[in-house]
Order: sequence, then structure tokens, then C-alpha cells
Amino acid sequence: MAAPVRGMAGSPSIGNTTSFQKKTRSKLVSIPGTRPSVQNGQLLVSSGVSSLDYVIGGGLAVGTLLLVEEDCYDSYSRMLLKYFLAEGVVCGHELFLASARDHPDEIMQELPSPIVDDVAGMKISEGQSQPSDPENPDTMKIAWRYQNQPRVQTALASSVRFGHYYDVSKTMEPELRQAAKCHSFYQLQETPVTTGSSPLPSPYHALLKSIQTVIRKEGFDGSTPQSKVRNVLRLGLHSLGSVLWGDDVCCKVNPAHCHALTTFLYALRGLLRTSLSVAMVTVPSHLIQNRAIMGRIIRLSDTAIALESFRGSEKETNPLYKDYHGLLHVCQLPRLNCLSSEVPDTKDLAFKLKRKQFTIERLHLPPDLSETVSRVSKAELAAGCGSTAMGNKHLDF
Amino acid sequence: MLLDVMQAGGGFILLEDSVQCSARGLLRCFIHAALKRGEDVHVLGFESPETQVCAGLDSSSVQRLHFHKGFPDPLGWTCRSSFTVERFTSQHITQLIKDTQHAQASVLVVDSLSMVLRHHDPVVFCQTLQELRNGGVIKTIIGLLHSDLHQQGIVGIVCHLAGTVISVAPADNERLSVAKTTRRTKSGKVMQEEEYFSVSEDAALSVQAKPRQPGHVQRERDVSEADPTSNLTFNLRLSEDERKAKEKVALPFVFSQQKKSALLRPTPGSGRIVYEPDANDDFDEEDPDDDLDV
Repeated sequence: MAAPVRGMAGSPSIGNTTSFQKKTRSKLVSIPGTRPSVQNGQLLVSSGVSSLDYVIGGGLAVGTLLLVEEDCYDSYSRMLLKYFLAEGVVCGHELFLASARDHPDEIMQELPSPIVDDVAGMKISEGQSQPSDPENPDTMKIAWRYQNQPRVQTALASSVRFGHYYDVSKTMEPELRQAAKCHSFYQLQETPVTTGSSPLPSPYHALLKSIQTVIRKEGFDGSTPQSKVRNVLRLGLHSLGSVLWGDDVCCKVNPAHCHALTTFLYALRGLLRTSLSVAMVTVPSHLIQNRAIMGRIIRLSDTAIALESFRGSEKETNPLYKDYHGLLHVCQLPRLNCLSSEVPDTKDLAFKLKRKQFTIERLHLPPDLSETVSRVSKAELAAGCGSTAMGNKHLDF
Repeated sequence: MLLDVMQAGGGFILLEDSVQCSARGLLRCFIHAALKRGEDVHVLGFESPETQVCAGLDSSSVQRLHFHKGFPDPLGWTCRSSFTVERFTSQHITQLIKDTQHAQASVLVVDSLSMVLRHHDPVVFCQTLQELRNGGVIKTIIGLLHSDLHQQGIVGIVCHLAGTVISVAPADNERLSVAKTTRRTKSGKVMQEEEYFSVSEDAALSVQAKPRQPGHVQRERDVSEADPTSNLTFNLRLSEDERKAKEKVALPFVFSQQKKSALLRPTPGSGRIVYEPDANDDFDEEDPDDDLDV
């Protein structure tokens, strides 16, 4: 009763993260802010949102690409990008931020501030103070033995604390922010270079060159022997594919450079695989006219999620969705060095941005198909030889 | 919210209309409001003559209004216009604005953006708008877009670029039109509102809040009326005395407060099973069925 509700009864998937932790020998390099995955041993970093880490299988694997399809007004996808960068600052990773619309410094200034006390600790202390208060309206009259048990967790979280929590109403302290090394790429300020025979149009080419330079210079790909502690590079690319990147995939069904964004993602994933880096890319998929291109973009990334916000659509007034801000669709999960991927046990996920947490919850409980469900018995018509209509329906033998 | 947007200004405001309902009157209201605030207004008129915009303005406002004539010759075929569509680039426009003296807080009004989009690449056009917005010379850009003249994708990207989008549509009432305002702040907050408005001859805007649909109200009333304790052959309700008696009933397993808190105190290891193996217990892990006589 007190255990958090997880998964359907009899579900064959191994989608539950356990509290089991592998004993690692010190041969494995330990980088701050990372941990090995329980399922396949990949090195994982947190995406900044612990519910999202649970949904995508424990965290983001180093060397992979997370694609976020933006919601209509780009409010929640921008928030996810800020969580990702804030997590990098707190863990001490290096950051690379590229954007075409707002200057990267503006995005960096809006990062949420980390909460120093953890949320789980606060809940335990609240629970213990309750029984001493007789007038507390939460004390239960009949089921008082269950008062101190934690409530059923609808928010998805793993039992091992991996990420951090952030307070959205406050921005990060400038000292903390400046302690992290951040490289930025602002599309408007870049001088257009002649690409020559490159298959990519100018802005994507420049961006790719810039990422390659940073990786090589800072030694993330192991080319320069690093005497200092190895670190992870977090890349945040905002709104790729939008018009301000010089790409017309959003305005036409048959764009002139239809392979520009896909070529860029292919080259980017190659760069990520050969270095200790992880990338989060947001794409305004609601503006992309050609669904085939969107399908290719999803296939070329490792993990793909889509955000659908209720703001401005008719779903806003639907009473089913009144507690949430939008739906989260998991479009693709990677199969890294193994045959099967880590699938969440439910695909009906909804998110809600609270002040101290970005929660992702199950929207509906799945239907209970276990054997013990009592079935509604059909009204048995009294059909039997010899029983009169006025006789009682109970057949006594 | 329409009046707030008009008074405050700032950013890129997009007025979207169609052939059923024109937003040009609303554009005139915006121009007049900006002039009343003391700002310099530059109008690129490709679709309407100067007289229509300047009607009803006093002399000081007229001085701050700079009308760049594009109508009736926006493409420059008869060389009668001072500003043609090809010259819609960030360098030309910034130069145009810098040419006016004592320019503070300039407002750029484009009538209309559709004419510009027909003759420019949409990617270049959006980049021009972005450069103008970040240039620092222009405080507000107000553009008029005819949404039925373009493909859905192009309207989508211009709306995505705008900070405030106002779409007008005809209402059931002849005199009024409906304006749907969507405003996006920097922090990602989105506000939306639908209002009735009408524009008078002297560019005065009157706004009415849109009344709620009668259908929705009825549905809400139906839900609240379903009272399950009514229309039954037995009584499910409690009178006051009965309710008090119910609360006084002593429940089984009701303990005093001390015993309750003693039982509730968290014990360490509440789920432990302590088992001492007996002499008869066989712990042979390899063959658990060793004691069977099969």
C-alpha cells in the first residue's frame, strides 16, 4: 500500500529502475555528475529534470543526442533547455550554447537557481511532525495507522537521487554561473563564410565547425592528453530548423535545402559519438511542413520527445487536462550497444511545470486486466424447466 | 488586452487579417496611439495612400509621422514612389530611420507585409526583421499581414517570430469585429484574449469584452444539478441531529492520543523477517528436491 505504484501487474518489461548499484572498481573514470546506467552500463548524465530522466531510461547517455520537439509558443522546450544547462553548471560540466533568436547570454541569465535542500528530505520532515498535532486536518480518523506512510507517487522518479532540483522563480547566482565555462554561438553575429563545396548551407556549416573546434581544443575527444580531470561537454542548440538559421524547411513543403538539417544532425551525432559530450536540440516541429523530413530528423537523433502544450488549443478547457500544462510524447528511445531499448511502462504522460519541479506524470492508469478483477455478472434470466414466473429466482438444490 | 498592447508598444506586433475583415482601421489606431506617445513613426505604405493614414491628426503629430510613399506604385515601375519593395532590407531601413533628426523610440509600420513577402525570400525576410528588431534603432515594428494570401507555412513562421499576434475576424454583430490577441513574454508566458472591437472615423478604438458562449454556461449548470440524493425511494440525507449522533459514535480501535503516537513512531526496519533455521531444514541449494522419494 505504501510502495509507489509502478507498472502494470504482470508486465514483462524491466522498466523499473532499482536501487541496486553496481560496485564499480576504480578503473572506470568517474566524472562528476555522471553515473553508469543500471541496464547497459552506459555513462549517463542527468537532463536536469528527474522525471524526464526516469522516462528516458535513467538519464542521457554520454555521446547521444536528445531531440525535443517544441510546443507552439516555445515556452516549455525553452525551459527544458535551461534545466539542461543549469544541471551542467551545477555538476561542473562545460557548456556550449547556440541560438539564432535570442542571444545566448540572455538564455544563460535566465537559468533557474538550484535548490540546496533536496525535496525528498523536506517531505520526510513534514510527515514526522504531523502526529503530534491533534488539530491537524490531515490526521485521519479511521485509517490513522497509515498516516505516516508516503502517499502514492504518481510522479515518476527513480529511487536513486541523481539530478538536482531547481527553483524556477529565481535565477541562478552570477558567481555560480560564471564558474562554469560556456562557449556560445549566436547566429546573427557570425560573419557568413563561403562554404565552397560543403553540402551544408552557411549557418549550419559554421555551427558544426565551431562545435568541432571546441571539442578538439578542449580535448573532449581524447586527442590532446588531458592532465586535468576529464569532463563532459553539454551542447544546447536552440530552435534548429527555424527560419533564423537560414533554413527554409519550415516554410515550404519542398524546401530548397531539404537535406540541410538532416546532414547537420548526422555530422553532429558523429562528433558526439567520438567525444565525451551530450547534446540537446530543440526543433520547431509544428512549423515543419513536410512530415517525411520530420520523420528523418527523429530517426537521426537518439532520444526524441515531443511537447504538446495545452495553451491556446481547445484542450485547455478539457476537464481531463485541468491539472496539467501539456502532454509529453516519447517518440524514440535509443538502443545503445544492446538489442532492446528501455521502454517506459506507460505512454500517456503529461507534464506540469511547478515552481520547484518539472513533473511528468501518468495521465491515466492503465486498465486493470488482472485475474482478480470482478466482472459484472450478466443478469441471469430465470430459465429453467418448471419454474414459474412468480417463483423465487434462487434455484435451490 | 488589446488596449494594453496599443498603449505599451514594443517588440514585433503582427496584425493578421483576411478578406472578410480588414485590420487597416486597427493599424490606424496603433499609429495614432504611438504618435500621441511622442514617438517617431515611419510608415512604409505599399497598399494605402498617405491621406488615409494622416486623416484626423494634429500638426505636431503630423511632423513626427514619416510616410514613405509606395502606393500606388510599390514596385517602382513608373518611378513615382519614394520607397519600393526591393528596398526592404535592414541597411536601407536603418538608414531611413537614422536620416530623420532627433529620432528617439522609432516605430516602424509596414502596410503591408504581404506585399513584401511576395517579392522577397521568406528566409531573408525573417532575417531582416530579426536584424531590425535587434538593431537598437527601432523600438516597435507593427506589420499587417493578409493571412489568406500566403501558404500556411509562411504565415506560421511570421507568427512564430512575432511577440504579439492580433488576428481579426468578423463577428455576428455587423458593427463589431473579433480580435484574438496572443502575447508572448520573454519568460515564456503566453496570454490570450478574445475581444470585440470597433474603430470609429477618428481612429478611436472601443473594445468590449467578449461574452461567454451560452452553450458552455448551460453545460456547466447541467453538471452541477446532478444531485444523487434526490429522487430516491429511500432517504439518504442526514438531519442535523443525526449528523451529530453519527460523529459521536465510538469507533472500534480508537485509541488515546498517546497510544496512537506510540504506534505511529517510525520503527527501524519495519519489514524485517527474522528466521532461525530448524534442524530439519535442508539448505542444499543445488538439489532442492533431494528429500523427495521419487
